[in-house]
Amino acid sequence: MIPPIAEIGLVRESIEISPNLWDISIEAPRLASVTRAGQFAHVRVSAGFDPFLRRPLSIGPIAGDVLRLIFHIRGEGTRLLAAKRSGDTIDLIGPLGHPINVPKGHNPIIFLTGGIGVVPLQILDDQMPKERERVFILGVRSAFTIPLSLSEAMQRNILWASDDGSLGYHGNTVQLLKNVVDGLSADKKPLVIACGPAGMLRGMKKFCIERNIPSLVSLEVPMGCGVGACQSCAVPRSDGKGYYLVCKDGPVFDCLDILLETASLP
Amino acid sequence: MTTDFNVAMSGLNFRTPLLTGSGTFGYGDEFLSLIDYAPFGGIVTKSLSVRPRPGNPPPRICETPGGGVINSIGLANPGVEAFLAEKAGILPVKETKVFLSIFGETVEEFVTVMSRLETLEGISGYELNLSCPNVKQGGISIGGDSSAIAETVRECRNITDKFIAVKLTPHHTQVAPLAEAAAKNGASALTMINTLVGMMIDVETRMPLLGTVTGGYSGLPLKPVALAKVWQASKAVDIPIWASGGIVNGLDCIEFLLAGATGLQLGSVLFADPYSPGRILEEMDDYCRRHGVKSVEELIGALEKP
Repeated sequence: MIPPIAEIGLVRESIEISPNLWDISIEAPRLASVTRAGQFAHVRVSAGFDPFLRRPLSIGPIAGDVLRLIFHIRGEGTRLLAAKRSGDTIDLIGPLGHPINVPKGHNPIIFLTGGIGVVPLQILDDQMPKERERVFILGVRSAFTIPLSLSEAMQRNILWASDDGSLGYHGNTVQLLKNVVDGLSADKKPLVIACGPAGMLRGMKKFCIERNIPSLVSLEVPMGCGVGACQSCAVPRSDGKGYYLVCKDGPVFDCLDILLETASLP
Repeated sequence: MTTDFNVAMSGLNFRTPLLTGSGTFGYGDEFLSLIDYAPFGGIVTKSLSVRPRPGNPPPRICETPGGGVINSIGLANPGVEAFLAEKAGILPVKETKVFLSIFGETVEEFVTVMSRLETLEGISGYELNLSCPNVKQGGISIGGDSSAIAETVRECRNITDKFIAVKLTPHHTQVAPLAEAAAKNGASALTMINTLVGMMIDVETRMPLLGTVTGGYSGLPLKPVALAKVWQASKAVDIPIWASGGIVNGLDCIEFLLAGATGLQLGSVLFADPYSPGRILEEMDDYCRRHGVKSVEELIGALEKP
């Protein structure tokens, strides 16, 4: 694994793609060239120390020297980040965490994403060999809160689920996942890789255990240092031996290795 | 930089007064690719205990308005034996002075951990984390009881000639008796201060923001409290004081030196700004040049009376 590097990126573009949902394109050649699917950046939001901590953010699609951060405004830190404009600099540490290791022998790979949970799995979609069969499920509140551009959505051949029925399947992503799995022929050995809200992840794990389908999750929790020193980002291990650290051991875990059911997830 | 940053403390020379705050820097390896060790006079590791500790139930960290952080890590650590087997070899002892932080629930546990660590080469000393409940004394904090401090420091001093810093909590109005108890029984330095106990509540959910409800409050708001405790301790004892609490820039360091500190611990600042050590030295150098200060030692305790 490549050790984390520090890079001052240059904001190229900042777009509010739907209310409170921002997509910032950042020129950061070193990070852009070494980041692998699943890894994240630890982003300084304030020039001073209020708010104090960096924000761990999934790295979105990479094009050449430019990477993207896509996030909701949740508080003061993300509000400051959203206020960055073209030409501003941004202090990044990354790539942090392990890249996603997609086990061999599974077909199709089902990306199960909710809201901005789609962000980290887009790189995986881009970096995974084209011949590998995949199904991309994305759940949104409505057609008006899509966390990616129209051309990206078209390119990724997404199966949509929306809470209000305004786009694709009317219902939640786990119900749509069940329909997808039920529609697979008996010789298929699917693997689910999920990122999204806690409720979705827990529902997915329960379903996958019932159907004996292996599943991976990408987690996001409050974090301090991002490199394993402070041990703030703990998730309980299912073997009873304490905790894993999302920053150092994750952010992607096999669902069977962690207690998603009791983990404190935002 | 033109300023002389060397400081002497209890027989050791430190190339700068900067140290890491225990718990914020792991065992020195995690930040290796990001942090230059050169600005540090020494590093203080995360606390080690006799047995492994998994740590507290999450969430373990939250922010407070005004630049504060509250953590509830629960002294998670692999235990002294696993540390010796897996981590000790990677300590950067050639590059910088290393102080191992020790945590125990009884005096015997402090002694047990220290005697195991005494087998290591290249270590400059220890920091005793006394801000924890004393199980044998019904949960009373060792760090709040001058006789328990005296006994712990004395027993540890009996088994080592190395540097021993004693880290005290800010939760006692009378600093002097606690500081004296450490100094008279062989402490080489005092670390002032550990975190304050704090909590935050999400009023929408009515839930605390930490899994243990309360945690250790650090960051900018701690600085005035830490300054006062450093100043009080430096009046009470002759051993050096390591300041810890809310340092984020060079002028913070100057304030602590004036209040009587000799060592300056960078803690939470390393999360936000891992490159701060170099910047902080430059800011201190700038101050010293503006004020005709040749050596930072001139500033220690140089507070003017009002």
